[in-house]
Amino acid sequence: MTFLHPLALLGLAAVAIPALLHLLERRTPPEAEFPPLRYLRDAERQSARRLRLRHLLLLILRTALVAVIVLAAARPIVPIGGGGSGSGAVHAPTALAVVLDNSLSASAVVDGRPVLDRLKALARASLAQAAPADRLWLVLADGVARAGSREALLASVDGATATPQRLELVPAVERAARLVAAEPLPAREVHVLSDLQHTAFGAGRVDVPGVTELVLAPPARVPANRGVAAARAGEGGLTIAVSGTPGASPTPLVARLQPPGNAPARAREAGRTLAAPGQSVTLPLPPLAPGWWIGEVLLDADELRGDDRRLFVARVAEPARVTADAGVGPFVSAALAVLRVAKRVVAGGEVSIGERLGAARSVVLPPGDPALLGQVNRALAARGVRWHFGSPGPPGTIASADLAMVRGVQVNRRYRLEGTEGDSGVVATVNGEPWLVRDGGVVLLGSRLDTTWTALPAAPGFVPFVDALANRIVRGEAPVTEAVGAPRVQFVTRGADTVGATVFGPDPRESDLTPATADELRRAFPDARVLGDAGLAAERFAGTRRADVSGLLLGLGLLLAAIELAVASTSR
Amino acid sequence: MVDSRRLDLLDPAEVAGLGGIEIVAQGVVEGFLAGIHRSPFRGFSVEFTEHRAYQPGDELRYLDWKILARADRLFVKQFEEETNLRAMILLDASRSMAWRGDPARLTKRGYADRLVAALALILLRQRDATGLMTFDEAVRQVIPARVKAGQWTRLVRGLIDTPDGLGTAAEAALRQLSGLLARRGLVVLVSDLLLDRELALTALRYLRHRGHQVIVLHVMDPAELDLAGPPEVRFRDPESAASVVVRPRELAEAYAATVRREIAAWRSACRRHGVAYHHIRTDMPFGMALRLLT
Repeated sequence: MTFLHPLALLGLAAVAIPALLHLLERRTPPEAEFPPLRYLRDAERQSARRLRLRHLLLLILRTALVAVIVLAAARPIVPIGGGGSGSGAVHAPTALAVVLDNSLSASAVVDGRPVLDRLKALARASLAQAAPADRLWLVLADGVARAGSREALLASVDGATATPQRLELVPAVERAARLVAAEPLPAREVHVLSDLQHTAFGAGRVDVPGVTELVLAPPARVPANRGVAAARAGEGGLTIAVSGTPGASPTPLVARLQPPGNAPARAREAGRTLAAPGQSVTLPLPPLAPGWWIGEVLLDADELRGDDRRLFVARVAEPARVTADAGVGPFVSAALAVLRVAKRVVAGGEVSIGERLGAARSVVLPPGDPALLGQVNRALAARGVRWHFGSPGPPGTIASADLAMVRGVQVNRRYRLEGTEGDSGVVATVNGEPWLVRDGGVVLLGSRLDTTWTALPAAPGFVPFVDALANRIVRGEAPVTEAVGAPRVQFVTRGADTVGATVFGPDPRESDLTPATADELRRAFPDARVLGDAGLAAERFAGTRRADVSGLLLGLGLLLAAIELAVASTSR
Repeated sequence: MVDSRRLDLLDPAEVAGLGGIEIVAQGVVEGFLAGIHRSPFRGFSVEFTEHRAYQPGDELRYLDWKILARADRLFVKQFEEETNLRAMILLDASRSMAWRGDPARLTKRGYADRLVAALALILLRQRDATGLMTFDEAVRQVIPARVKAGQWTRLVRGLIDTPDGLGTAAEAALRQLSGLLARRGLVVLVSDLLLDRELALTALRYLRHRGHQVIVLHVMDPAELDLAGPPEVRFRDPESAASVVVRPRELAEAYAATVRREIAAWRSACRRHGVAYHHIRTDMPFGMALRLLT
């Protein structure tokens, strides 16, 4: 037991007051004649035992009353077991991290109420019970642990809205657990308030000793949901992927396109199709004028509205006019032939591909004769290109953030590409060393596009690679990328030209609302206690919950006072 | 306005304020006799001796109807023993009798004096020889029982002349009294009975054994029945100077029970020995006290 105001215990000296009053009260009673004294003595003799007991009882009651009042003033705090969270309950200083999963799936409406509202109410309850001596953190779907005061974190909870981001639940809880475990406080708790989506669980597990993990139990029932997982405009049309509850019925999809430079209101329908979660369909797009087109794919509204719409960008450009010299080899020639048939390239002098530097934009391959390297490097230097061919490099595989079709492809022979401006303009690497670089209108490749140099010509992505080289990379255009965020399109510009775009949308894994199984929960949180709303309310701070029993003591004091009054006022 | 004919029914303290013992006693007796219309005491014999004039309170059964028819005058017949009834009244004049619980009331002694005077007057009017003995630690006054004129005045004077005494020794007085009553008679003991009960009962039993009719009038102030006072008080016995500190409120219940038990013990013991016992409070109208004796 501890006391909030221990100095008040000095008042315990006052317990002597009743005894002193008792003695002082007896000192000089008034005198009076009373003839039947013999009766009085008889009565006193017969009542002596009762009176002694009564006096003793009164003394005990009064002493106890003073002691109880003094103890109440000292505000005693005593440990109490689990259950209940009365207003008088307090707890030992606790490091508490509340993980509030406000990812997109939390915006789903279940039983007429957004899941997020319920989670926020529980988070509020957890934080509201925190005491000034507690250390608090709030972890939202962005995974950032926000430390702050109770009021600040309550405000954060109030302001939390569903985000398109996906919460990596297990790592987030692990981080939160490690944060609280590092605090030198008597108790450490992590409250996990999430819809416990199956897709939020990875392979990891939270194993931080000394931390009490309270996990809100997953909902017993979740609605079937469908969402647009991806929408990408390509050569074959618009590829749409649908995600959501496995086994859910197909849903109608509508694609709309907004012409370049026009307001969204001018968007027009580009096609309709039908797809179920897990399916991917391709919708042919109508012929489009050159430019950057913004489109959207919509599906019918359901309980989770945030994933019912996804934006996409269609880049429509004039085919590059390409010329290739004889040194490019048969594979590049064949690829260009295919692209010409597909009208992706046409013959012309806009882009040259070969061992030599062309007059305009050039894709330069290492010369087959090593003796020509110096000549090529001098030409590059003369053009002002800050890259040149270096010494041969060891074999390796290609890595590229931009060119997905070449990732992992084996490179057997290569020249190191050496530059004077650091890694600026590197598009792909092998063993971490530049393999494909761009500087101005010149692109350098570290290997010849021949199967003796690299397996790339034999890979499925070779023709798209050559397409990207001719139509995008040499032109300096960035690819259309996708990122998780509020649905929007962000264009990359260079000067007055648009050279790329990023399409933001929700994480498609959020569409599957299926909760994790009990096994998954046990595996991810082996030491956690999975509780319902009521259980969570009962177990918060239960390990060190203590109660301020001053109110109880005051009640006891009142009771003692009432008994004392009754005993003192009765003559029997 | 006080009805002088019914002073017996008024508050004793108010009645006492009307005058001295004589006046009060006469007023009380007049009212009392007018109320009951018969004599409260009867003799033991039926041997006729003489006639006397009828007085209010005389029983009608002793009225001589022949004289009434012949002379139209009221005479009652008197009998041998009745005319010779000797009554001795013993009055406790100890210090404890000089106490009252409320200044608005008579002291026990004040009340007893007036009651004794009234009783003596009634007896004398019946031509019963009446005497008085006052006592405290010792016998203070002895007025032998007579029926002659001026006896009542002597008795009243005896009451007035007896000061408040000290302790109480009723047993000695009772024994002395038995020597004064040669024939069977009436003995009335008026006391607060704050004395040794066993000794007193022994003496009373002796009187009964001698054939006397014995009446005990136990006079108590109402404040002696119920304990009251300040939260804590030292009560002192006026006779022995012994004292005890008590809290009246916490002892009141036990005290009242003790007093009730004591009264019951006196009543029971007296009944057992053929002694008439009457408990009289000093706020009781004199008439009611006298009626207890009839």
